[in-house]
Amino acid sequence: MSEAALSTHGGTVRRRRMDNWRVTPWLYLAPAVLTLAIWIYWPLIDASRLSFYEWNMLPTTPQTYVGWQNYINIFALPKFWQALWNTGIYIIGLLPIAVLIPLAIAIYTHDLPARARNFYRAIIFVPMIIAPVVAAAVWRWLLDPGHGMVNEAITLFGFRPVRFLQDPKIAIWTIIVITGWKLIGFSTLILSAANANINPSLVEAARMDGASKWEIVRDIRLPLLRSTVLFLVLMTILLGAQWSFAYIHVLTGGGPLGATTNIFYILWDFGFSSLSVGWSSAAAVILFLGFGVVAFVLFRLMDRYSFHDN
Amino acid sequence: MTIDAAAFAPSIPAISIARPTKRGATGLNKSVGHLVMAVLAIFCLFPVYWMIVTSLRPANEVFDTSLWPTAASLDNYVYALNAIPIIEMLGNTLLVSAVVTVVQLFTGLLAAYAFARWRFPFDKLTYTLIALTWLVPFQVVMIPNYLLVADLGLLDSLAALILPHFAAALAILMLAQAMRSFPREVLEAARMDGAKSWRILWEVIAPNLRGTIASLTILIFISTWNEYFWPLLLSRTPENSVIQIGIQMFMTSEGTQWGPLMAASTMASLPILLLYVGLQRQVIQSFMKSGIR
Repeated sequence: MSEAALSTHGGTVRRRRMDNWRVTPWLYLAPAVLTLAIWIYWPLIDASRLSFYEWNMLPTTPQTYVGWQNYINIFALPKFWQALWNTGIYIIGLLPIAVLIPLAIAIYTHDLPARARNFYRAIIFVPMIIAPVVAAAVWRWLLDPGHGMVNEAITLFGFRPVRFLQDPKIAIWTIIVITGWKLIGFSTLILSAANANINPSLVEAARMDGASKWEIVRDIRLPLLRSTVLFLVLMTILLGAQWSFAYIHVLTGGGPLGATTNIFYILWDFGFSSLSVGWSSAAAVILFLGFGVVAFVLFRLMDRYSFHDN
Repeated sequence: MTIDAAAFAPSIPAISIARPTKRGATGLNKSVGHLVMAVLAIFCLFPVYWMIVTSLRPANEVFDTSLWPTAASLDNYVYALNAIPIIEMLGNTLLVSAVVTVVQLFTGLLAAYAFARWRFPFDKLTYTLIALTWLVPFQVVMIPNYLLVADLGLLDSLAALILPHFAAALAILMLAQAMRSFPREVLEAARMDGAKSWRILWEVIAPNLRGTIASLTILIFISTWNEYFWPLLLSRTPENSVIQIGIQMFMTSEGTQWGPLMAASTMASLPILLLYVGLQRQVIQSFMKSGIR
């Protein structure tokens, strides 16, 4: 109605209104768009540029153009391949803790009374809000080879103390479990909620038809939980290795012998330990492109296979 | 292509959590269920419990493994408070978290409103570009960000901790989604009354998004409070650091002072834990609404 009233006033008013309409949304968007442009998109471009230079981050030293040399060097570096391999191990190791075990628990405990479930829910969520540094400090204390609670318990049973963070074979699994500790309760909550949302009459109908417990889980619950499970898998693959950064940094520094380093940690290592901007930037570009491809494929899969029941 | 965590939220029916059980399970089955949950609960809570218990042990009992200190003492807290300026660091953390929360909500509301209210050239593209920032790992942009802060002369300042968080995809996307489900008739009515877009946002829309705003407040505050990586790059002096950096100061290569470390960790977690005890339902729902981050 206001539009109609305006149009009778002729062209100028309408034109001004049109211009106004064109500018106003951008005024509202400006703070957010500027922030993201300055702190995310411009840095992405700058990192790509820096990946072709050699520089040690000191303002006084010049940036030397080296072409593809940084990339060639990184691909020739065993440490890089180790980090890449470890990134895969982090993701594969996290999947059972962040998805499979919570899924089993959610399905298994779905018929606990509401009161009990609320009680457990309140407890298992706690790790999610604990700061990663605090979690790292506490686990370092629990796993201390000399006096840590866990090793005290192990020796009590007559075994030799385990060097959780010092043994190159064990350290990465320790970090994975600590990362998983942060997530397991939360994943369980998400899956429990999804599971509780399944229409009970579906389960009831199947039971009437003589379906066994396992058949109900396999043919009704799992298919209906598929989109939630896919979502958690996707998050774990995309973010799993990132979540472990704080623990790696505080607990092992990537060691022993690079056993716990991953692609995110190596970026930090190149950049702020070795002060090699070019290497870090080249690794960042590789990571970003790889990350983008993985994300694209996963979102495609997610679109195709997720199941919407309502 | 949907990129953002918030966009997935509807597919996670997370909000209706407490389902009253109609049919009681068989006795044995139920107790196994309790057992499973109890084991998980202990696994999740024990480290936090152990942190608090260790922090309360007197210095000569730190290595004790009893479940409760024979004589609780605050020695570790006194030691930690004297060793580093913890109160100042907690104050800094509170300030940074509060400012980031308010600013991010403000920029988020403005941006979301632009998408909800107008169709304009490149609106879809802009929205997608905002959503995509969620996929850029911080490690990829950290060096240019660090250099920018250095150029601005803001190293070792609280301002630098706040600036990159002026806007975040999560807030914008969650608010945009909430606004999309806002009844259009109300908007139209307000517009007919001659209300300017600015007033409509603050007097009509924002008050009706209280639920989403509350969730975001909790999420942004907690994640800023717990942030570690960015302060790690910038902090030089304890007085200009946040508490997460303070905790790290008790872990040195010469050895760790477990008592004070646990006391500092407890002090760093206490505000968040208290928030959680007070607003448990809302905190859990906020996290579940937003996906995982």
